[in-house]
Amino acid sequence: MSHHLFLLSPTDTPLYTLTHQSTRPTASNTLPISSNLPAWSTSAFAGTVAALSGAASLSSTSDRAFGGVPGGAGSEGAGSVRGGGQDRHVIQMIANASLDAVEETMRMNGAMYLKAVDKFNEWTVSAFVTAGNMKFILLHESKNDEGIRSFFMDVWELYLKTIMNPFHTAHTPIRSSVFDVRVRMSAKKYL
Amino acid sequence: MATSLKQYKAIGDELWKTRTEKISAELFTLTYGALVVQLIQDYEDYAEVNKQLEKMGYNIGTRLIEDFLARSNMGRCSDFREVGEVVSKVGFKAFLNIVPTVTHAAVPATAQTSSATPTAPSFVLTFDENPLADFVELPEDALEGGLWFSNVLCGVLRGALEMVQMQVEAVFLSDVLRGDESTEIKVKLVRYLEEEVPVGDD
Repeated sequence: MSHHLFLLSPTDTPLYTLTHQSTRPTASNTLPISSNLPAWSTSAFAGTVAALSGAASLSSTSDRAFGGVPGGAGSEGAGSVRGGGQDRHVIQMIANASLDAVEETMRMNGAMYLKAVDKFNEWTVSAFVTAGNMKFILLHESKNDEGIRSFFMDVWELYLKTIMNPFHTAHTPIRSSVFDVRVRMSAKKYL
Repeated sequence: MATSLKQYKAIGDELWKTRTEKISAELFTLTYGALVVQLIQDYEDYAEVNKQLEKMGYNIGTRLIEDFLARSNMGRCSDFREVGEVVSKVGFKAFLNIVPTVTHAAVPATAQTSSATPTAPSFVLTFDENPLADFVELPEDALEGGLWFSNVLCGVLRGALEMVQMQVEAVFLSDVLRGDESTEIKVKLVRYLEEEVPVGDD
């Protein structure tokens, strides 16, 4: 079960991305939509991809199906792309699409941790907005509010320490390996 | 006057608590960081940046010593060993609220005036915290270029001690920002300056 984290600047440029595989046993929550899918679609991505493209076979068609996705989704993840091939595009598209929902929730809710702002098949999008309008987007499958809140707070503190570094230019991709290691440790701890 | 080590510590603590005006630590750290980054952008050569930081420190030190002597009312130090103790326990404490550990270099006990000794007396200050370098991570080329981020401290020591008739050399030995185990400055006495009228001596 994986989680995808995106740190976005106020101009929606991704400054940091992370894919984390959770080692925790997850309570399998079968969603109504996935139970309607044909038996051959077993992976989580397959459910999403099949529902979107409506194609019988996965790998080749999903590439073509998403060729038309707005360029923004494909060019995201300019930082460090981890994880599998074409599934990446799906994830990025989901994250991109959720931004509207995030901004709407931001307007209504003044808190920093906006819980689940968007849902896409089996993927829930949680968001965290900082005072400087940085958005932390987390895609996850299971429900884990408290853990995700702690994770976001941790990432926030690590982010603050990184931007306090005089050698770091604001709103540029975060390449610090110290930050990367610590975010991964925090993900392991809370997710 | 042989002031004991405990007394130096007490003097330093008292100076910090009562007679020092305080500012925000983060403002200080951010200002210094911005200064170093700007110097790097201007000079584009890390050795030159080190030199400039040291020069700036020298100018600060020549003025800082006056402030220090006025507030602390310390008398003249009897030997270089005492200089090291006062610098670390009173000086650094009063201005930065840190007390670096002093390690004195082994000097023959009889020769206390530097001009006679073959080996110049020196001490090493070991910092376990450095407020100038909070949150700082050096980028790759700064590490390769040999940047000493807190080199201003070396200049301050040189400038301050020169105003009290000691010509010293202060250099960094190691820095945690560079990946070393600890941050250390070595202060070596070159000679006592005899000609000038001592500062604040009545």
